Amino acid sequence: MAKLLRVNMTDLSVRFEDVPEKYALLGGRGLTSSIIYDEVPPLCHPLGPDNKLVIAPGIVSGTKAPTSGRTSFGGKSPLTGGIKESNAGGLSSQKIARLGIKAIIVEGQPKEKGRFYVLRVDKDGARLLPADHLKGKGMYEVCDLLWKEHGEGVAIIGIGPAGEMLMSAAGICVNDQENTAGRYAGRGGLGAVMGSKGLKAIVIDDRGGPGVEIKNPELFEQGIKKLTQASLTHDVTKKGGALNTYGTNVLVNIMNEAGGYPTRNFSSGRFELASQISGETKAEIIHKRNGEGMTGHPCHPGCIIQCSDRWANPDGTFKVSVMEYESVWALGANCGIGDLDKIADLIWLCNDIGVDTIEMGDTIAVAMEAGLLPFGDADGAIRLLNEEVRHGTPLGRILGNGCVFTGRAFGVTRVPAVKGQGMPAYEPRAVKGIGVTYATSTMGADHTAGYTIAPEILGVGGKADPFAVQKADLSRAFQATTAFIDSTGYCLFDAFCVLDIPEGFEGMVESCAGVLGVNWTTQDAIRLGYEIIRKERLFNEAAGFTRAHDRLPDFMTKEPLPPHNTVFDVPPEELDAVYDFSKWPKEVVGEVAG
Amino acid sequence: MIEVHLYGDLRRYAGKTDPREEAIVWVPYRPGLTVADVLREIGIDPERQVSNIFINGHYDYHARSRLVQDGDRLGVFPRNMALLYC
Repeated sequence: MAKLLRVNMTDLSVRFEDVPEKYALLGGRGLTSSIIYDEVPPLCHPLGPDNKLVIAPGIVSGTKAPTSGRTSFGGKSPLTGGIKESNAGGLSSQKIARLGIKAIIVEGQPKEKGRFYVLRVDKDGARLLPADHLKGKGMYEVCDLLWKEHGEGVAIIGIGPAGEMLMSAAGICVNDQENTAGRYAGRGGLGAVMGSKGLKAIVIDDRGGPGVEIKNPELFEQGIKKLTQASLTHDVTKKGGALNTYGTNVLVNIMNEAGGYPTRNFSSGRFELASQISGETKAEIIHKRNGEGMTGHPCHPGCIIQCSDRWANPDGTFKVSVMEYESVWALGANCGIGDLDKIADLIWLCNDIGVDTIEMGDTIAVAMEAGLLPFGDADGAIRLLNEEVRHGTPLGRILGNGCVFTGRAFGVTRVPAVKGQGMPAYEPRAVKGIGVTYATSTMGADHTAGYTIAPEILGVGGKADPFAVQKADLSRAFQATTAFIDSTGYCLFDAFCVLDIPEGFEGMVESCAGVLGVNWTTQDAIRLGYEIIRKERLFNEAAGFTRAHDRLPDFMTKEPLPPHNTVFDVPPEELDAVYDFSKWPKEVVGEVAG
Repeated sequence: MIEVHLYGDLRRYAGKTDPREEAIVWVPYRPGLTVADVLREIGIDPERQVSNIFINGHYDYHARSRLVQDGDRLGVFPRNMALLYC
C-alpha cells in the first residue's frame, strides 16, 4: 500500500501515514491541490509555518507508461497569494512512486533560522540530514555534491540561493539523467516555500523500492499501447516530428508569424531577430558545433517525445539544458536579446541561482522598461542575475521577487502579469483564448493551465479563430482537461496527440484506471479535472480573490499591439463565465454547488 | 508584390540554407492569383510540401484557395514542421 510521507520541519521528524480513502484515486496536481485545500489555511502567510509544500508523482508515474515522469509541487504561492501547482520532469517522479510514496508533505518551520537540511528518502525510510555545507550554493554544485554523497543516479529536488533568500521568483529544481540542474517547477515561487521550511534539497534513492502496484495490468497494458501509438503517429509528438526535431522552440517562428510573440516587454507581437533564436537555428547550431550538444533529449527516463536539448558552447563543450521556447523567449525576445549564446548564459544563471526563467525574463524586461538597462543589453542582464539576484543585494531582492514587485519599485505601468505572476510567451492581444486562460486560471498567468494555443494557432484539438472573443467554454474545457493530465504524471505534451486522436485519450485514461483498479471513462477523467479546478478556485476565493483578479493588466485593453494593432477585448462577462459554476457543463460535472 | 516568408526546409526555395537569415521570396502580384498559385510560382507543391500558411499573420485553414492582395505577407511552414496542419 502506498503511503504519505509527512515531514515536520518544526521538530525535524518524519512519519509515514496510510493514504486516506479520499486521496486513493488522486495523483499529481489532483493530490497536491486536494491536500493544500484540506490542510492549508487559505489566509496563511505563504512563507510562514502554516503553509505546506506537497510533492506528488502522477497516477502512472513509476510504471512503464511512456512520457510519465512529471512531479507536481503544490503549496500556497508567495508570488500570487493563491494555490499553486507547478510540475517538472527529471528523475524525481518515478523514484518517489517506486518507493511506494504517493506524496511528500513538508510542513512546519525550523525554530532556528538560517539552518538548512537535506531530506533523504530511500527503501528504509526517510531522515533529515544537516546541510550547512550546501548553504548558499547554486544548483549545479548542489547536484554534483549530492551525487558524490548519495551515489550516482539518485534523484535530487533542490533550491538555489534564491529559494534560500525566500524570493518569490524562486523555483524548485529537479536533476535529470545527466545530473544537470535544469528541470524546474519554476512558477509561483515554490522554491521560496521550500526555503522557508529550511529544506535545501531532497534526495530520492529508489533502489530496492517496492515499485508501483498495478491493480488491473490488462487494462493498463491496453491503455499504454493506445497512448504510445497515438504519440508515435501524431505529427507534433512523433519521432522526427516538430517537438523532437526542434524542441518547443519550434514555436518561435510560428508565433512570430502569427504576430503573437511578445517582444520588448510586450510592446510588439513580432521580434525582428526571431530567426536568430528560432528552433531551427538552435537545432542547426547544436548540430554544427557537433560536440556535447544534442537535440531530441529526454528530460526523464521513458519519455518518447524527447523535446529537450543540451546546448553546447562554440567549442562544443556542454553549456546548458534546456533551451526551450519559454526560456529562450523570456530572456531573449522579451528583453530584445537575439543571441542564443547569451540567452544560454542567462538560462544557465537562472538554473543555478534557482529562479524561474519566465518570471526573470518578465522582470528584466520591466527593469529595461524602467531604464535600468537598455533593451538588448545581454551583458547587463547577466550582471543583474549574477551580481545582484545571486547575492541578494537590495536590487537583487527587488528583481528576485518578480515583475510586479519590480514594476512597483520602479514605477512601471506596463507590467504583464495576472494575480502577480508574469505572463509567458503568447500575446493575449493576438491570441484571445490564451488571454482568457491567463486571466481566469487559478494559477495566475500560466499558458500550461489551459493551452488554447493548440486550437487557436496550431489547429490541434479542434480549430478556433485566435481573434474571436467568445472563449470561455474553450478555455474552461482546456483548464479542466489539463488539471486531469497534470494529475496523471503524463507530460502535458501528450495532450497534442490525445486531443486529436480519441484512442490516445482513451489510452491515457485506461492506463490510469489500470493502475488504480477502477473503470474510468474519458468523461470520468474530465469530471476529475473539473473537481480539481473547482477546489483550487474555492481555495483562492477563501484567500481573498474576486472576479476583479480575473482580468488582464490595464495596458493590454488600451494599447494596440503591432503588427495586428488589436487590444484585448474579451468582455468581462465572458471572463466571469469561465468560473461561474452554474455555466459548467452539467452533462460532465452534474449540478455543482457554488 | 507578395512577400513570402519560408521556414524549415522550404527555405531553399529562397536560396537560403542558414536559418538565421530570413528566407523571403517576392512574387509579383496580379489579379486572380491564389495562395496556391503563389506557392507554385516559387516551385513549392502547395498540397504535398506545406503544412500551414499564415496570411498577414492570420492563420487560415483554407489559405491555399484564398485570393491574395497586393502587398500581402505569407508565412509558409513545411510538413516536417507540422505543429500546424489541417
